[in-house]
Amino acid sequence: MMRVVLMMFVAGVSLLAQTQPDRSKSWTPPKTPWGDPDLQGMWPGNMGVPLQRPVNMGDRTALTDAEFAAKQAQAKKQAQADSQSTAASDSVGIGPPSYWVERGTPTRQTSLIVDPPDGRLPPLTAAEQELRKQARGGKGFPGEWRGEANSYADLNLYYRCITRGVLGSIIPVIYNNGNEILQAPGYVIIRNEMIHEARVIPLDGRPHLAPAIRQYMGDSRGHWEGNTLVIETTNFTDKDAIGSNGAGYPGDPGHHSADLKLIERLTLADANTLNYEATIDDPKTWTRPWTILIVLKRNEKYQLLEYACHEGNIAMGDILSGARAEESKKTK
Amino acid sequence: MRILSILLLLAAAPAAAQNSAYRPPRAPDGHADLSGVYEALNTANWDLEDHGAHAGTLWQTGAIGSEPAGQSVVEGGVIPYKPEALEKKKANFANRRTNDPEAKCYMPGIPRANYMPYPFQIVQTPRGIMFIYEYASANRLVDMGKPEEALTDTWMGTNYGHWEGDTLVVDVTGLNGLAWFDRAGDFASKQLHVVERFTPVDPYHLNYEAAIEDPTVFTRPWKIRMPLYRRVEENAQLLEFKCVEFAEELLYGQYTKKPGK
Repeated sequence: MMRVVLMMFVAGVSLLAQTQPDRSKSWTPPKTPWGDPDLQGMWPGNMGVPLQRPVNMGDRTALTDAEFAAKQAQAKKQAQADSQSTAASDSVGIGPPSYWVERGTPTRQTSLIVDPPDGRLPPLTAAEQELRKQARGGKGFPGEWRGEANSYADLNLYYRCITRGVLGSIIPVIYNNGNEILQAPGYVIIRNEMIHEARVIPLDGRPHLAPAIRQYMGDSRGHWEGNTLVIETTNFTDKDAIGSNGAGYPGDPGHHSADLKLIERLTLADANTLNYEATIDDPKTWTRPWTILIVLKRNEKYQLLEYACHEGNIAMGDILSGARAEESKKTK
Repeated sequence: MRILSILLLLAAAPAAAQNSAYRPPRAPDGHADLSGVYEALNTANWDLEDHGAHAGTLWQTGAIGSEPAGQSVVEGGVIPYKPEALEKKKANFANRRTNDPEAKCYMPGIPRANYMPYPFQIVQTPRGIMFIYEYASANRLVDMGKPEEALTDTWMGTNYGHWEGDTLVVDVTGLNGLAWFDRAGDFASKQLHVVERFTPVDPYHLNYEAAIEDPTVFTRPWKIRMPLYRRVEENAQLLEFKCVEFAEELLYGQYTKKPGK
């Protein structure tokens, strides 16, 4: 469910920069009745931090005061424009009305990628570069969809409403950013509104699934390191994509191999701040592991509603039948 | 422990019967602990009512696609349809190959989610009781707080729970009326109201009952009842069944570009 747009006006006090988890802080999180650190809560994502840092910012992890002020001013301007679009929301368009889009609360974080230190994706391996060139007879991986619609298989997982993958489900996007953590003895569940995922993570040390079983959301096992929940996920397919909406990131299909090992680290920084770090370790695809940090703020008022993406997927039929109609117009 | 469990099982009344003597283990909050991976073991997903074996909708799949016989899980045997609703059910059945929401990999709704031929998991947390279904990654959080009106209609409904002794009672409203009850075309409207009861009867079974009411479709409220079986394998866990990609040819294949065009 969309966060109430007014939140943006209410959030008068800017959030402090929290670009690197500070493990030196001696914050002791509450415990569940059975003694685990208690991370439970509603932790919706916050739009506005790019995956990669602009090159000219170098290794700088936080915006300057001037840059941050400019970002806040821009957000305020956008919020005013959004609120005006409410009045004109009965106009016809293919995208959602402007006020419907989640813009996020400005923060100082300069990129989701915190390692490598330049906030940029590490170089691809030579094999992956070749694979991306050759994929699907030279058409490349769907990732960011390029407009070809000969078949449903040309579209990416986002359009097909299959899944966003583990990271695409939590990287903030323009809507449905709800994330909820629930715990029980021996289990953690991470619910993502996008697309109605509920990942059940056993903590009992059982082995991973056999390698023959491959899953879009992988196979997750968790354990506690102090107050940090560490989740190791393997058994991935090579069919989803890393990036917002599980559809890659601008200019890149976000393809990874089935050998991807994902290490997530969830740590409460304070009662209302959860640092979500994820290290992407896939030596077949990238020349070194890389790590993203998503700072999640507790919002117990957020209503995580069912997102029936596939069930309501009218766009697929429209895109494909539209493409066929265009072709028959041309041949006439 | 294992021996004790077996003794308890042997001592238990038939799984489907109420066994008030059984005291289930406790969750951290002191309520009965129903957590585990479960699965129905019947043909309710083919047809809630009594049905003989019959051919499937595609001869190409041979006996694999045929439909097994099964006895009714409906109290009294028959669903009390209004006459016009019964006609619609028959039409649904005739068109089930393409119209059953299961064929399209749509979310299963309640109660169907609980007796599909896929496991599901119950996890009891301080924030509510999660039901996670392998089929279509469907899930629902049962809120144990004060019931409120559903915010909107959904496939899996708005779920409020409470305990009656060791029985978990879940009141489900806000269902969108688009899900079917089975592959036989049994259906309801968005007036559907389901009250489910999950009762542990021994360490390995839950008694499942769902009271179904929808005055626009049925002449009176009715009930289904069946045991749910614990998956006792040591490595029991939900696997992924994201079936959207298995339904795309059915849904969108008609729009695929033909060769030479």
